[in-house]
Order: sequence, then structure tokens, then C-alpha cells
Amino acid sequence: MNCERVGELIPDYLEGTLGRNELRSVEQHIEGCAECRQLVTLARKLESLPQEAPSAALSERFHALLEAYGEGRAQGAPAAASPGWSLSWFRSPFVAAGATAVLLLAGFLGGRYTAGESAARSQQEMASMESELKNMRQLMVLSMLQQESATERLQGVSWSTRQTQADPQILAALLRTLRYDSSVDVRLAALDALSRYGSHPQVREGLAEALTAQQSPLVQVELIDLLVQLHDRSVLDELRRIQQDTSTDPAVRQRAQRAISELS
Amino acid sequence: MTRPVPDEELMLMVRDGSAEMLGVLFDRYQTPLYSFYTRLTGDRAASEDLVQDVFLRILKYRRSYRPGTPFRPWMYQIARNARVDHAGRQLPHAKLNEAAAAAATSAAQQSPDDQHELLHRALRELADEKREILLLSRFQGLRCEEMAQIYGCRVGAMKVRVHRALEELREAFLRLSGTGGEAQRKTAGANDEL
Repeated sequence: MNCERVGELIPDYLEGTLGRNELRSVEQHIEGCAECRQLVTLARKLESLPQEAPSAALSERFHALLEAYGEGRAQGAPAAASPGWSLSWFRSPFVAAGATAVLLLAGFLGGRYTAGESAARSQQEMASMESELKNMRQLMVLSMLQQESATERLQGVSWSTRQTQADPQILAALLRTLRYDSSVDVRLAALDALSRYGSHPQVREGLAEALTAQQSPLVQVELIDLLVQLHDRSVLDELRRIQQDTSTDPAVRQRAQRAISELS
Repeated sequence: MTRPVPDEELMLMVRDGSAEMLGVLFDRYQTPLYSFYTRLTGDRAASEDLVQDVFLRILKYRRSYRPGTPFRPWMYQIARNARVDHAGRQLPHAKLNEAAAAAATSAAQQSPDDQHELLHRALRELADEKREILLLSRFQGLRCEEMAQIYGCRVGAMKVRVHRALEELREAFLRLSGTGGEAQRKTAGANDEL
């Protein structure tokens, strides 16, 4: 047996599905051929690569989501105070509002699954499922933005960019993150995510407010750049205040100066 | 000892309305799926996103699951699609993903085993599809027959693809271990056992 023929049989050899005769021939060949032996050794090494477990938070989040989903289907109405709501990530009123929407929709869908399937109904069902999934995503983003770990909040911001359309609740949550998050990285990521919705009035207003409140020079600089990019002249007064404020970081003042000349 | 409920039975229950059974499947597969994604992408934060996305998709498409369909290939097909969609979305937001990736440390950097590290690096040298084929077939233990379902090709063609991917992995591995590719491969001997 030559290398080419053995190569064809290696996947079966690795799966242990070769017949006795072929197995013996392949083994004989491998014993005398370093190249084919290397292939087998590498394949075995791949099998023994260690598995790595995800964070416990992933499982917690998913099970909480399933629980909320199941409750919504069982009750067919928004649950006021079910055990699932005691989970820490449901604390925020934002999340609660998102979850209520999911429960309403999920309950509505649950009732319909028992019905028969006409083509029109299936189509309608698919449309509902789309919206159901969208709401689940929304719930997920809102909950992730509430997490204690900055990495998770970053993931939440990353998830928010998966929405194809601007969702007012998510935009509000991102704007809150931009203003109040304790991590500069998360605030910067939120700003980056919000930059996609620059034409949205809610975002324009929120960015202008954030400029007044922002303390981190790094975020201030990015924010000023974005406002210039959006040609937002409504912030000119605030920019002048920043530029004249001697307690402000010199780099920010310089950036404000440049922004003023670009916007004027 | 009680026999664990087969995946397929659980999935049928999910399809027929017991969404909570998806929790059992999630517990069974979150680690293999996550490992598959971290080896494929090298990005832990994105890998968690993807695992979550796979199970949300399973919930969404539960009604399309047919009795008799082996669960694992079906799930990995969804996993591949999720990854393709994710990669497509990633480009305009590279900055964001970089930030998320920087917050986590890559699995490769933490590996205490040099051989594993070298293998991981050799895998990273392969084209995405070849790396994916090797991870599914050898790391996740899918049979060529199951892989052929995922890739929509004949079993024979799948075997050839697995073999070719292994060949490329060997080249990359030898190159990275400093013992050369084609030229030195011919002299073999010292690298027999890699």
C-alpha cells in the first residue's frame, strides 16, 4: 500500500472503522513510513487538546433567560413577581421592562403553538418568532450592561451592535453606560456603538449631555471628535466652556479648540 | 445507573414545547462548543457570544428539527452559520471586538503545554475552513459521515478534505517547530513522533 492510498484510509483508520485486512495493511505501512505516522500522531494530538469551559456567567444568563421564557409561555401574561425575577440581573427597571415585553410575546406565541399549521399561520409565526428573538437579544443586552464585570458589560455593548435597527431602550442604556459606567473602556465601547446611530435625535441629545458630564479625558476627546464628525453645532457653547476651563485636561481643551474652529 | 436521555429525544421535547429541556442540552454542549470556538477564533469573549447565539438559534429554529436527525451535526451546522454571520458583522466593528478581546486572555497564551501551544499555532496558520474541518473531526470527534451532512458533500469527498487538512497541519507544525517543511520532511527520522 502506498502513501496516497493510506492517506485516503487515514480518516477511517482514526475513526476505527477499517476492516481487518485494511487495518493490518495501514498499520504495516504506518510502521515503516514516518510521514504517515506523523499524520496519525498529529490527529491524535488534536483529539487530546484540552477542552476549556466558558465562564459561569454564561450558563447563569442562559438558564435565567430560559426560565423567563418558560414562565412567559406558561402564564401567557406578564409575571409581576415570580421567583425568576429575584435574579440579580433583573434588578434594573430597564431590564424588567424588556423582560415584560419578552414574556408578553412569548406567552402570546405559546398559546399559538398548539394550533394547526396553515401556510399563512406558519409565516405569521415565523414573523413573531423573529420579533421574539429580537426581544430576547434586547433583554440580553440590557442585562449584560448591568453586570459587575467590565468584560461582560463590554460584551453587552458588543451585542448591542447586532441590532439592525436602533432600539430606543438599548440606545438609552448605551447612553447611560456612556455617562455612568465606572470603566473607561466600557464607556469608549459604548461611544463607538452609539456612533452608528449618530443621526438619531435621542443619540444626538444624549451625546451632548454626555459631553457636559464626562470626566475622563480619553472619552471627552473621542466624544468631541464624534460630535465634530456629526457636525453638531448645538454643542458649540459647551465646547467653548471646556476650552476656557483651566481645570480641564490640556489635551481636551486643545481638542475643543480645534472642534470649535471646525464647527464654526 | 440511569442512562442519560439522548440528545435527539431532548431536542424533540424542545421542539414540542418543553423549552426548559434546552437547558440540559446547553449544559451538555456549552464546553465543547466554547472550546471549538476558542480554538477556531482565539477570542474568548466572542466565543461566549457565539455559544449563546447558537442556543438562541436552536430555540428559534426548533420547529425545523425533524425526528431522526442526529443532534450534534445539526447543532454544529447552526454553529457554523452563527460563526459566518458573526465574522460578517465583525469587520465594521473591529475596534469594539478588539476591546472585548483585550479584556480576555487567549487560551493559547495560558497553555502550559508547549506541544499544545505549538499545535494551536499550527492550527492558526491554516485557512479557516481547514481549521474548522480539523476541529470538528478530530477535536469534536464528528465522524466523516456526520461532517458530510454539515458540509453538504459526499462522505468520500469529506475524507479527502480531512486528509488534506491534516497534511497542511503537519506542514505548519513542522515549520513552526523549526524542523522545516518539504525538504526536511523527506529526511524524516528525527521527527517521526513530532
